[in-house]
Amino acid sequence: MTERTAKGVFWGGTLSSLALFLALTVDTHGQFAALTRADKLDDTVVAGKRVFERYNCNDCHTILGFGGYYAPDLTRAYTRLGADAIRRRLAQPEVAFRDSYRKMPNQHLSPAEIESLVAYLEWVAGIDNHDWPPQDSEARWKRSTERLLAAAALSPAAALVQQEGCLSCHALGDRGERQGPRLERVGARRSAAWIGEYLGDPQRLAPGSEMPGYQHLSAAQRQMIGEFIVALAARGGER
Amino acid sequence: MTYRTQRVAYPYMVVALLLFGLQVVLGLWLATQYFVTVPQGLVDIFPFSTARAMHTNLLVLWLLLGFMGATYYLVPEETESELAFPRLAIVQLVLLTATGVAALVGFLFGWTQGRPLLEIPRPLDLLVVVGALLFLFNTAVTMIRAKRWTAVQASLLGGLVFLAVLYLFGIPFYRNLAVDWYYWWWVIHLWVEGAFELVAAAMTAFMLIKLTGVQRAVVEKWLYVELGLFLFTGIAGTGHHYYWLGAPSYWLWVGGIFSALEPFPILLMVVDTWRDVRQRKGPMEPRLTWVYLVGGVVIHFIGAGLFGMAHTLPQINYYTHGSQVTVSHGHLAFYGAYVLLNLTFFYLAMPHLKGLPLGRYDERSGHFAFWCTALGVMGMSLAFAVAGVLQSYLERYLAQPYMVAQVPIRFWMAIAAAHGVMVLVGVVMTIRHLLTLKAPAGGGEAAAVAGAAVTLPSAAGK
Repeated sequence: MTERTAKGVFWGGTLSSLALFLALTVDTHGQFAALTRADKLDDTVVAGKRVFERYNCNDCHTILGFGGYYAPDLTRAYTRLGADAIRRRLAQPEVAFRDSYRKMPNQHLSPAEIESLVAYLEWVAGIDNHDWPPQDSEARWKRSTERLLAAAALSPAAALVQQEGCLSCHALGDRGERQGPRLERVGARRSAAWIGEYLGDPQRLAPGSEMPGYQHLSAAQRQMIGEFIVALAARGGER
Repeated sequence: MTYRTQRVAYPYMVVALLLFGLQVVLGLWLATQYFVTVPQGLVDIFPFSTARAMHTNLLVLWLLLGFMGATYYLVPEETESELAFPRLAIVQLVLLTATGVAALVGFLFGWTQGRPLLEIPRPLDLLVVVGALLFLFNTAVTMIRAKRWTAVQASLLGGLVFLAVLYLFGIPFYRNLAVDWYYWWWVIHLWVEGAFELVAAAMTAFMLIKLTGVQRAVVEKWLYVELGLFLFTGIAGTGHHYYWLGAPSYWLWVGGIFSALEPFPILLMVVDTWRDVRQRKGPMEPRLTWVYLVGGVVIHFIGAGLFGMAHTLPQINYYTHGSQVTVSHGHLAFYGAYVLLNLTFFYLAMPHLKGLPLGRYDERSGHFAFWCTALGVMGMSLAFAVAGVLQSYLERYLAQPYMVAQVPIRFWMAIAAAHGVMVLVGVVMTIRHLLTLKAPAGGGEAAAVAGAAVTLPSAAGK
């Protein structure tokens, strides 16, 4: 190889790659608005992003998979946890993670900061990013959950969940709201006994939670709901 | 050392080494937090995030100071002239070190830009830019005045200008998170797989010419080819970071294909180095410098090439993205590509800067320090890799909640930390060895005494 050819490789390689990269960058900018639902990106959301940066949240948590790897990814935190559970973790992490082997610092956030962070995480959860991360992808476990739900809907516990209106705050399958955590998620993290106990007095196990108590149900009924939720816990793997 | 003004390189290397030591200490503390439950009271005042910001910024700061020191050593020899403004080089070092220290102390009090790796607050960013401009000005004026251009110089200056320009994309506040990450990678990826590679290739070529005595024309010809391949795969290869951030799906193709090619230029670098080593004129002395040179090239290939390739395809990355797999690759790649590069250069330059005859030095404790560090980093990266594969399977594939999946990972983080202790021991010994280089036993007492006199940074003026 002559020096001339070598220089040709350098300029040819560099400029062709650069040209492709810059052209795609221009095109990507044209598509960001639709892919990230930029119409919903209002001042509250931006204020939330500033709060997120002010307290350096991103050096423990990942978001869109980038950041520290020390705490859960926040891309779909809103769909996974719902607004109330996020608020509770932000306001009193020392209580929310009292029993956890890993702690979150209390940043003494103002109520306005907490609300803007919730709005920010809600907006982030709506970014169309090829359904990443897999563990929070509802498309990936929906089929099995749907099958389970279809069968489980006939059970006595399902009747209780219906009757008590759990789904007016929580999500389950493709139904329900995003105020509280997704029930499949709760089932993956907690035991049936814990859930049964929690239903009796949410404030004791999760102080500050907006979850109402279900003291009017019998202990056996609460345990039954716990078993129902644990049985429907989200599982990944082959579909 | 042929030119008096090369001496300004010495204080750069000393500061870089001390910051390196501090970086490793913080790294060990970070790993510890994965398997030990830190009490809430300590987490509230010194959270993981603060320690991580310090760990990563120290890395960037010391690597850059190392590159700058290497540049100030290399440019006079390449241009065959004295540095244009040696005093300004010292002013620049003081400015950048003070900025870095202010940033580190600021992190402890929550003063941060809050974006990973770019935590330095915006007012301090401006000081970094001033420092970078002083550096480029000094280097460019020296080259222009000398009117002697080599491919090594061009690659070095090109890399440094590219590096400074890219830094600007990390300064603004972006409203949209996806756009934010898009340009964040212009700094992070295009630094490590673009600008840094230009600097690294130039430094490696310079060292190969000095150490092997192989003809410059041969080394420089292959330098062009390496750089062409590095930039061809590296620039469009940025796409492997755009898979899951809300960018169009063609990035899965572009990122996947270009980054699959990324190991090739590194492999070419290994082959080139090997060829030059075989065609060298004269003995491989000092032995330790050669161990560093060859070790760096090999671990660069394993860490950046193979470990990078292992999780860069979108089909795999869907499960490994944002897990400890990335941590594993990051540690081994940075160590192989840039830490060893800097240390090799220090081992090449510091004996000359200390005036040791023929650049020979007493190597004894240096060999142990090298192997202790290298094996420590390898073991640590393998432990991170096991943790990462576990995390990908348990959390990503089986959809276990994060904290449930972390339980079995804690064990592997303890293994990583145990290797981190090895790294710390090795690094402390390396720093000590480099800062107290002596002539080899029986190699002239007088030279060592004369060497000690020129180590003072104040001697660098005029």
